[in-house]
Formats: sequence, C-alpha cells, structure tokens
Amino acid sequence: MIEVKNIYKSFDGANVLKDISNRFEQGKTNLIIGRSGSGKTVLLKSILGLYDIDQGEIWYDNREFVKMHHKERKKLRREIGMVFQGGALFDSLSVEANIRFPLDMFTHQSPVEKKKRVEFCLEHVNIEKSAFKLFPSEISGGMQKRVAIARAIALNPKYLFCDEPNSGLDPETATIIDQLIQHLTREFEMTTIINTHDMNSVIEIGESVLFIAKGEVAWTGSNKEILETRNKKLNDFIFANKLYAQLREEKN
Amino acid sequence: MKFFFHVGQYFTLLKKVFGRPEKLRLYVRQLFHEIDTLGVNSVWIVIIISIFIGGIMTIQFAYSMSNPIYPTTLVGLGTRDTLILEFSSTMLALIMAGKIGSNITSEIGTMRVTEQIDSLEIMGVNSASYLILPKIVAVVFIFPFLFIISVFFGLLGGLVTGPIAGVISIPDYIEGIQWLFYPYYITFSLIKSVVFGFLVASVPAYFGYYVKGGSLEVGKASTTAVVNTNILILFFDLILTRLLLT
Ligand SMILES: Nc1ncnc2c1ncn2[C@@H]1O[C@H](COP(=O)(O)OP(=O)(O)O)[C@@H](O)[C@H]1O
Ligand SMILES: [Mg+2]
Repeated sequence: MIEVKNIYKSFDGANVLKDISNRFEQGKTNLIIGRSGSGKTVLLKSILGLYDIDQGEIWYDNREFVKMHHKERKKLRREIGMVFQGGALFDSLSVEANIRFPLDMFTHQSPVEKKKRVEFCLEHVNIEKSAFKLFPSEISGGMQKRVAIARAIALNPKYLFCDEPNSGLDPETATIIDQLIQHLTREFEMTTIINTHDMNSVIEIGESVLFIAKGEVAWTGSNKEILETRNKKLNDFIFANKLYAQLREEKN
Repeated sequence: MKFFFHVGQYFTLLKKVFGRPEKLRLYVRQLFHEIDTLGVNSVWIVIIISIFIGGIMTIQFAYSMSNPIYPTTLVGLGTRDTLILEFSSTMLALIMAGKIGSNITSEIGTMRVTEQIDSLEIMGVNSASYLILPKIVAVVFIFPFLFIISVFFGLLGGLVTGPIAGVISIPDYIEGIQWLFYPYYITFSLIKSVVFGFLVASVPAYFGYYVKGGSLEVGKASTTAVVNTNILILFFDLILTRLLLT
C-alpha cells in the first residue's frame, strides 16, 4: 500500500501539484489518469523521490518517505520497480544484460542464479530466447516495453510504477501490456501505480482510478463507476472519445 | 550570474561523482570499456594528425630559418619543442575535446532525456558516479599516453617529410631534436595532459548530465560543451605555463 497525503509541488513558482491525497492499494492496478500536462508524471516522480515535494507525506506501508535519510531511501528503492514512458532500457546493453544489471548491482547471486532469474523474468513477459542477445534498438516498441517490465520486476519489487506503459503502441499490443501488468501485480502481490491517458486502459484494468486535472484531484473511483459519473471534468475527459459517449447512451 | 550557477552545479556534480561506488567490480568493468571506446579508438586519429603536423612544422621551420646565420639544428629543436610544449599537449586536447567531449555529452545527454538516468536513480544507483567516474578516470589515464604517442609520431613526421621535401638532411634533423633538450618540458606537459584530460571528460559530462528536453537539446549541449571545454583548456594552459614554466 502507498498513501500520499496533501502533496504540493511547484516548479519555479508554478504549482504543478495541489493538495493531492490518495491511497494506492496492494495487489491492485491503481491508475492515475488525466490529460497530458495535468501532472501525472510529476506526481509519480514525486512519490518516487525523483522530485522533492514542497509539502505533504508519502507513505510506503508504514514508512514515511519524505523524512527518510538518503540511506533509508536507497534501501527502499530496492523494493521499487519502475517502467518509464519510453522504456528507458540501457541501450548499450543487450536485452539479457538489461535484466541482469540490477542483479549485478544489488545482489550477491551466483552467475547461474542470475541467469535463472533473467530467464524467469523474461519468460514472464513472453520474450523468446532468440531475443535475449538483441539490443534495445533492434526490437519493437512493444517488446521494449515488455523488457522494461521484466527489468522492473527483476529484484522482486513490492511496488511497481509505470508511466504511460502503453503510449506509442498499437491498441492490441497496448492491451497485452495492460493485462500483463495486471497479471504480474496479482501474481506478485505488488502495489502498482500506472499513469495513463488511455481510456481503454481505464476500462480494462482501472481497478482503482485517481483522476487529476490541472494538478488537483478531480475524481476517484473504479472503472465500474467511471462511465456512470456526472463529474463534469471527468465526463469531458472520457467522452472526448465518441465511442465511450455512445457506450453510455446505449446503457441508459 | 549564470557562470557562477554553472560552476556551483559543476562542483556539486563532482562531489556526487566521487561518492562511494556501489560495486567496485562493475566500475572496473565500465572503466575498461571506456578506456577502449574513448582512448584506444582515438589513437589512430592522434597518429595521423601528429605525423602531418610534425611534417608541416619541420618544413615551415626550415623555411623561416633558411638564412645561414641560423644553425640547421634549430629546425629539429623547433619542431620538438613546439610538439612537446604546445601541440601534443594543448592542441591535441582541443582536438580531443571535439571528439571525446562531444561523444561524452551526447551519450550522457541521451541517457538523461530518455530517462535512463532516472532509471538508474530509481534502482538506487548513484548515476553520476556510475556514468561519469569511469569516463574521467579513463580519459585522465589515456591522455598522457596520447601525448607521448603524438610527440613520437610528430617527430617521425618531421623526419620523413623534411628530407623528402629537401629542406633538411636526416643527420641534421636527428641532431636537432636532441639539441638543448630539457626533460622538464616533458614533465610539464604530462602535468598539463592530466589536467586537460580531467577537463575533457568532466566538463562535457556535466553538460550532458543536466540536459533538459530532447535530442535537439542534446545536440546543442554537445556544442556548448566543446566550446566551454576549449576555453577552459586554453585558460588552464595559460595558468599552468605561468605557474610551472616561468
Ligand atoms: N522538471 C520540470 N520543470 C518545470 N516544469 C515541469 C517539469 N516537469 C513537468 N513540468 C510541468 O508540470 C506540468 C505537468 O507535467 P507532467 O507531469 O509531465 O504531465 P503529464 O500529466 O502529461 O505527465 C506541465 O505543465 C509541465 O510543463
Ligand atoms: Mg507524463
């Protein structure tokens, strides 16, 4: 479980996050949704400590992150996996070496154990053995995302963060990635937070949804409730896509 | 104002760079990789440039000293001292700032804008140290060798070109390059190489590490990095010459 309480964050006087509070549950895919520029990435990176927040509390289960010392933060980070928007694979390393990197850095496993773990992770995201030796530039965008997910789970994290994991992918591949993340979240009992502006993802895996608009919490709920809502801002966001407007009309 | 901001941020970064490494073994692996890509790959270009410059200098010295009141040994001496004191240390560093420096900025800058650096930080890796320290050590290590290689091939260039151009005989040239030789000049230039090596790795690394935006900004940062490194090299050349030579 991750809980944020009254988070504020500004850049050079511009308030990007205003009084954000929310609970992200364990074993669930928690979505942060909103328009481009609404502050999703800043919120995610603030929770991760890549940005220092101006005010507020961030709880990783019973540990408060803001007050932590550098060393404690580093220790906590071993429990965190992150999938970046562009994948952020190390392009000087092969697929296999990308997964091995965190293992080399932070474990004392033998080469055999590491090899097993690398295979385990890559198999879990359906990467075939023939692709293990390829470099990130040699594989498709969808595969890069899957490798990024495999790397994120390499150290068996308790918390998984994904920033627009299916941006730039075709709808079919995007759905596969979404389902993969949900599947892994359940299997490994992780607390997963996903940024997205994709309504398909919301319907597909939005077990818990936090909607932010201009840096403020505008709505919270689940994908079961979202199509029924009368929230003006949320409706504008959702029904920008005609298909969902139609869907609601049919329902009513 | 901006200048002081950059100086402050540069030293903050250096402090991070020289922090405690997570796993020494991985740093050593990285170090060998950098010596290979940054150093060994530069050897050919250094050899080629040095042969040409050595040859050209010999011909020019021979022409400007064609008056019989100058001893012919001055040609070899002039070539040697110019190579040692300025070309193989300072000029070579300027050239290497263009090659190695822009390479470092674009590599680290690309890692910044594609969030690979964030990715390292999330894992709990000291990204500044992991990415930059091996580069600094590699370049500082390789620069003195490049200096020696450059002096050697520069002298060789003169030895081949001078006699072919018919401006000096082989024995005169060889006598010249041994005439009035101060070993301290070598020490002086080796010290310069080390300082320049540090600048050529750390300044471009700084500009790459703090890049914001996309690939366009990375390109701009490379140019800025090379220009600033060159200015700093010349500035330190002046200071070191004043301190150590006069
Ligand atoms: N490092 C930064 N410095 C200054 N402003 C930033 C920075 N990162 C993001 N912003 C601003 O914060 C706002 C939210 O951005 P972001 O969180 O990236 O949006 P998104 O919801 O698309 O992920 C934007 O207006 C952006 O310009
Ligand atoms: Mg974003």
